[in-house]
Amino acid sequence: MSIAYKEQQVHEALPATSHDELARQHFVRSFKEHLVTHLHPGLKTAYEKRAKGKFLKAHQREPETIQEVGQVMSQDPHYQAWSSLLRTSQEMMWSATQIPVQRAIQDLAKQAAETPAVGSLRLNPDLEIPNYHTAVDIHCQPGGYHTEYIDNDVAQGAIYDRGVYIYAMGQMGVNNADMGDSTVAWLKQEHPEFKPTRILDMGCAVGHSTLPYVSGFEGAEVHAIDVAAPMLRYAHARASSKNLSVHFSQQNAEFTDFEDESFDLVVSHILLHETSSAAIKNVIRECHRVLRPGGMMLHVETPPYEGMEPFDTFIFDWDSENNNEPFWRKSHLLDLDALARESGFESHEPLKMMVPSAFQETQRSNTFQGGDFGGGGVWFVYGCQK
Amino acid sequence: MTNQDVTLQRKAKGKRPFYFSDPDVDRLLSMIMALTGELSVTRDRLDTLERVAAVKGLFSGDDIEEYELSDADMEARAARHQTLFQEVTRIIVGDLEDLEKEDEEAYTAVVDQVENDG
Repeated sequence: MSIAYKEQQVHEALPATSHDELARQHFVRSFKEHLVTHLHPGLKTAYEKRAKGKFLKAHQREPETIQEVGQVMSQDPHYQAWSSLLRTSQEMMWSATQIPVQRAIQDLAKQAAETPAVGSLRLNPDLEIPNYHTAVDIHCQPGGYHTEYIDNDVAQGAIYDRGVYIYAMGQMGVNNADMGDSTVAWLKQEHPEFKPTRILDMGCAVGHSTLPYVSGFEGAEVHAIDVAAPMLRYAHARASSKNLSVHFSQQNAEFTDFEDESFDLVVSHILLHETSSAAIKNVIRECHRVLRPGGMMLHVETPPYEGMEPFDTFIFDWDSENNNEPFWRKSHLLDLDALARESGFESHEPLKMMVPSAFQETQRSNTFQGGDFGGGGVWFVYGCQK
Repeated sequence: MTNQDVTLQRKAKGKRPFYFSDPDVDRLLSMIMALTGELSVTRDRLDTLERVAAVKGLFSGDDIEEYELSDADMEARAARHQTLFQEVTRIIVGDLEDLEKEDEEAYTAVVDQVENDG
């Protein structure tokens, strides 16, 4: 299978690359594509023909849990090689995106600061970065979301913007907007009468998923929050350069300063799995607090583990221990109905559904798998109406 | 402060997992992939070079395909290939040379000798 090639859409905030810097990034994208299409399928073969038999012999039954599959797969040479290469591809991805950003770090900050502002940006230097962001650098981006090297720094945002495109191998669209696009498309199809006038995007990073709500719900006031200042500065410059109005503010989604019942729609995209057991409860409670009665909460994620085969769960769980995603496993095993109920969402049934990807331009691998986050063809959406 | 004054953190915080029974295999694989990446970058640059040359009317990829190497060209190239192989396989050949010199003294014996000869 070959994935149709399309380059990320250029915008004013995107870091420029020399010929060789771009070639280095393209290599990483091809490397990841090779792993997904050529080496990933062999994992199942290695499991069925080699690893599973070893467990059967020792225990007279098949592996039933992530840990039991892991016991035998971690000893399998194909799994070892695939994991080692996948981890390496992740490190090379960040390295290749860091190089042009480090080279121009001051210029990028200046350029972002001088972009004529559309919408607004409100930073809070006193905001405490939560420990679930500082304990390890999530998905191995050195410095995480929050590290700042210079005044008005946008480096981490610039690296993230490019890194996501390479990570998803372009399969989240030219603006990395697939999660937002898919959710807006679903809302318009399933709830044509729903016309949100005030929207909040939690954990927005550089606003990849935020902007579809601006374009999709004309006239709506769109707010977006994140804990990381470099993400928000870059996000604001990026949105401004596209002449799209978003009010960005540096806030923790657990405890925002927005008024009670002030939004019709609260969304997040791959935020929940990057929090913690305590934080996820606070976030859902906060969604309930800021939503107007009848308003909608929607969190876009990857599918929960419930009902998955042990082998598939083990592979899908790879990021937990191998890509600095410490809350990934637990977040995929949560009782989402109870989480909603206990956070105040009592009058409506929680939504747990697979929403088709809006991005149809390329062929997809149609399965979620370690190292192929954007390739599912569907997104899992968890939410509830208030 | 200029762009050059800033160095980004290059290693992600968090213990890095290794997969092979000897973590040096992981390290070696990582280095091989980095080399493969740099080879790809160089090959892409050559590709661009050919394309620019064609656009500018200098020469095309076809000119390269059709260029006929003389015997002397090929001899010089083959000699370079041998040098390249010698460099890459140096450690293997070195082991073999040791094996062939069976009567060679143990390294520790040499240390002992130079330390205690006066």
